[in-house]
Amino acid sequence: MFTLVIGGATSGKSEYAESLLLGRPGPRYYLATMEPSADGECRARIERHRALRAGKGFATIERAVDLRGLALPARGDVLLEDLGNLAANELYSPAGAGPDGALEAVVEGVRHLRAECRGLVVVSNEIFAGGRDYAPGTDVYLRLLADAHRALAALADNVCEVACGLPIYYKGERP
Amino acid sequence: MIFITGPLWSGKRDFACRLLGCTREELSVRAVWDVQELAAGCPGQAGLEALADRLAAHEAVILTEEGGGVVPADPAQRAAREAAGRLACLLAERAGCVVRVFCGLPLVLKGECKL
Repeated sequence: MFTLVIGGATSGKSEYAESLLLGRPGPRYYLATMEPSADGECRARIERHRALRAGKGFATIERAVDLRGLALPARGDVLLEDLGNLAANELYSPAGAGPDGALEAVVEGVRHLRAECRGLVVVSNEIFAGGRDYAPGTDVYLRLLADAHRALAALADNVCEVACGLPIYYKGERP
Repeated sequence: MIFITGPLWSGKRDFACRLLGCTREELSVRAVWDVQELAAGCPGQAGLEALADRLAAHEAVILTEEGGGVVPADPAQRAAREAAGRLACLLAERAGCVVRVFCGLPLVLKGECKL
């Protein structure tokens, strides 16, 4: 089972994505893709998400790039949060695959992860309805994430967009 | 006329090809896309209506949603974005079928379309 959950900022997508795995036997892994930095805002965001997950039985795995090389401790369910960060890391981070390899690294990484686990939920960001008038170079990132979305939506069993914590299913149904 | 909308790079033209059963090359004869860019050049509601009428002669009209971000500070950009949004509504009124494409996946908002 692979479900892709996409939503705008603070749309309730994380909590909805977590809820999809809570009724299952586990083990449950939270795959965090944000590169931890000294940035206070970043840390506050991480803390907020940790608090939301507390008591829900997720073991956290931090992995910023190269999902293809990731081995899970045991076969279970995975919540990957989020694809937008992973794509940015592959594109911009020194450890990432760079502009030529980022799309393959992201898509093949998720495909590998899907084969490694029982249930997979991938959270990503809707950032494509606000035009394209951004700082130079942003279009490369936008294009990468859009391409990854379409490729993963084709692979996924279920695809939904979350608004106000409520899902709209474009493919499949709530697993 | 089938009106196809959706966010940037969501697979709208690929979907139009699937729907019309044509190649990317043939699509340029049967459909128009990026029509949101035409809205800015149309003065007033009457101009937008006339543009929508002209576009509706195509089998499929494709428009990229651009109204989701912060309102632009630049007056010309602001007006262009507003005109694009109005054009989308006018096209939806004229269409027998309206489809929003999201990550390559269609959601029918009006009418029916058979793939």
